[in-house]
Amino acid sequence: MSTRPSVIRQTIVTPIILIVALLIMAALAYQFGSRAFNRTAVEMFINIMVVVGLYVFVGNSGLLSFGHISFMCLGAYMTAWLAIPPVMKSITLKGLPAWLLHTQLPMWVATPISGVFAALFALIIGRVIMRLSGIAASIATFGLLGVVNNVYSNWDSVTGGQGSIVGIPPTMNVWIGWLGAAISIAIAYLYSISRSGLALRATRDEAVAASASGIDIVRERLIAFVVSAFIIGLAGALYAHFLSIVNPGAFYLRTTFVTLSMLVVGGMSSLSGAVSGVVVMSLLIELFRNLEKGVSLGGHTVALPNGVQEIAIGIITIIILMYLPTGLTRNQEFSWRGWPLQRRLARTVQTALKELN
Amino acid sequence: MREILQIVFDALSLGSLYALGALGIALIFGVMRLVNFAHGDFIAFCVFAMLWPSVDAAAIVFAGQLPFYLLIPLLLLIGAVLSILSEIVVFRRFRNTNPATMMIASFALGFVIRHLLLMLYSSRPKSITLWPSLGLPVELLGAHIPMLQVVTIIITLVVLTVLVLFLKRTRYGLEMRAAAENFTMARMLGVRANGVILLAFAISGMLAASIGLILATNSGTADISMGANVMLIAFIATVIGGLGSIPGAVAAGFLIGAASVVFQATLPHDARVFRDAFVYGAVIVVLLVRPQGLFAPKSAKQRV
Amino acid sequence: MTLLSVDDITVSYGRLTALRGVTLTIDEGEVLFVTGPNGAGKSTLLNAIAGVVLVGSGSIMIDGAKVTGNSPEDIARRGFSLVPEGRNVFGGLTIEENLKVGTGMRIDRKKIADDLESIYEEFPMLAERRHTPAGMLSGGQQQMLVIGRALMAAPRIMAIDEPSLGLAPKIIDQVYEILVRLRTQRKLTLLIVEQSSTRAMMTGGRMVLIRGGRIVLEGAATEMVKDDRLKHAYFGFGDH
Repeated sequence: MSTRPSVIRQTIVTPIILIVALLIMAALAYQFGSRAFNRTAVEMFINIMVVVGLYVFVGNSGLLSFGHISFMCLGAYMTAWLAIPPVMKSITLKGLPAWLLHTQLPMWVATPISGVFAALFALIIGRVIMRLSGIAASIATFGLLGVVNNVYSNWDSVTGGQGSIVGIPPTMNVWIGWLGAAISIAIAYLYSISRSGLALRATRDEAVAASASGIDIVRERLIAFVVSAFIIGLAGALYAHFLSIVNPGAFYLRTTFVTLSMLVVGGMSSLSGAVSGVVVMSLLIELFRNLEKGVSLGGHTVALPNGVQEIAIGIITIIILMYLPTGLTRNQEFSWRGWPLQRRLARTVQTALKELN
Repeated sequence: MREILQIVFDALSLGSLYALGALGIALIFGVMRLVNFAHGDFIAFCVFAMLWPSVDAAAIVFAGQLPFYLLIPLLLLIGAVLSILSEIVVFRRFRNTNPATMMIASFALGFVIRHLLLMLYSSRPKSITLWPSLGLPVELLGAHIPMLQVVTIIITLVVLTVLVLFLKRTRYGLEMRAAAENFTMARMLGVRANGVILLAFAISGMLAASIGLILATNSGTADISMGANVMLIAFIATVIGGLGSIPGAVAAGFLIGAASVVFQATLPHDARVFRDAFVYGAVIVVLLVRPQGLFAPKSAKQRV
Repeated sequence: MTLLSVDDITVSYGRLTALRGVTLTIDEGEVLFVTGPNGAGKSTLLNAIAGVVLVGSGSIMIDGAKVTGNSPEDIARRGFSLVPEGRNVFGGLTIEENLKVGTGMRIDRKKIADDLESIYEEFPMLAERRHTPAGMLSGGQQQMLVIGRALMAAPRIMAIDEPSLGLAPKIIDQVYEILVRLRTQRKLTLLIVEQSSTRAMMTGGRMVLIRGGRIVLEGAATEMVKDDRLKHAYFGFGDH
């Protein structure tokens, strides 16, 4: 990766703002938050990792991927294989090879291995899928999700099948969550200013011009695919340590769409968008969760009926997209010169692009 | 011979479901480039509409008690109204946004519908018996085929015939096909955008209702996630068939149905649980060979 | 009587302004030939009238009614039929189906069958292949088809964007012969946009030259084609 000092100087502010803002949130959660709130915070940090990972591929390439949650699945199960005590593994996961059955690695070793495992898998499968473009590529990633989910749901002797595998040491806390998110943001930032990242964004904006100037689209996409798989693999590993159980159902459609929604709500072609989408959605979810539990108003406890949380989140997502189709950040990055939301207020010129379709 | 006949019927009836689902998605995609991820939840909504809202385990059958000649039109109407409402309230405002935003909006809408149903009916699957006599087998050329399979295939053929006649023989069908190929050009010839889009949504909703009816009769339960699986395969079928191609969507629906059944029958016993992995793998292979889909219309060449 | 009037319209794509203050009128039964170099804003003008692109300022009237900002289908229903650049046949529909798409808005439904026959008389080649998909036709045949399709909508004004684009000279002559014949037979009001002005001789009528989003020259077609000022204005000689 060639680095250009001027590019870094212009853009380094964004990841710093993001990482510092998250650090403040972590500190506040640690200092003032309840145990339950801390768990929400950890969940948010893991979601940030996933969505930032998604951004590396989706944001830079412009291709929508439905398959990235399978990397989370791969990472989480790899961690389960590596981190569960051998005594437990020999009962529930008899099909594992002997060397794996007898290993137990601490979190700080198991996590990067899980990330690398997901990245290697992405390298192999990506060589095939990245030749496609447009909606065909999106569907192929859907196929990937289907294959991985089916295999992990049914390979009973190795993955425990539909049931959950228990026994992963629950070693997560907000600080590790923050660290994971910070590392993801740093990787995503470094990728986006790298030669490959710039080239890939060029193919996203001007496909013809980019290929005419000698950019190998397939290769650049593959690099982004692998980098994003690594980040999401890490997220999966931390998720396994967070819940201490893994289950294939957790890495399927719901998670895929929830994380994609977070990305699109934030603004899918900016790193700031990826992070702020997760933060805003997580805060909203937490808010409605508390409203469902009940708030006391003048001596009465008023509680929303159960299930209102999801309905409200869905409706809010639709409304945000209606009024801000390019997301909360309008695909801009945070910088000292002003927040994207302020810049948005500049009057737009009435353009001729009416209904294209 | 008997086994082969059984496989053929399995493939046709499963393919019928997928084809109906793929049609519902392809029609809407054709006129507004929206992949409607809420379609599966429309299906579930139509099934639950037959029950009285209650979180108890025992289902209170409501509309489901009606005789079939009232129940079927009522359900078709419910599907059409739900679908039209979602266009007017939600999708109309997304007409000029990019496909990803529209897709996520449709997913969010489905999410809302699903959780509304969960709130009203709880997450427990409920038993719902519509026409028990359809479960009985009929003998056909020496094979025992469940009556329902035969009925499913017949219903699908009827629906397809009606739809083809509508698309080929009526003015509105012609306008819809023209709009699916080139929306702006159709409008410049006086085709009303809102009219065509509402019509596509109405038909799509009715297709969702018919899938709901078939699924409910088949499984005897109302389950919140029952539409999601059909929706997924149907979505894949529309792409494999060549996005924008209505006959392609139907053909690909049947093709995926057939592939699933054939994999189920021919894979070695241990590998059968991995049938879906083979189906999804086959989808990827098809895309690699023909990224534009198997039956892509001529005008759908990728513009550079 | 003025059928179409465009009054001081401006159209921009983002920061790029494509039309700046264009004004013109077309009387019933008239031919207006619009010419100008590539990127002058000719197609934008047609698309703005058709309601496909948004007009920033100014107004457009058809038959005395203001249509600025109306939907394309509404403008089509008021009798403005555009044959856009690149022809845009519905490739998967048959020739006959293509011809029928625009008839949905007609009130005189009984006349549709007669009109279809008269189109087939005009273009025998279309009649022979009426049930083949339009995507199989050659460029020239497609051009005939889209002219026929626009006529089937029973328009009051027919606008054609670059009818000669991508066609062989012999075919272009044919297209123009047909246009001239249609005009005299049906008393059609025509608005033709063409990058090259040479065919304006065939159609007669008035001609305007657009350059840089403005009308720079206007006059009788037959006079202007001979005039040196046209060449100068077209290429922008002598203005700084």
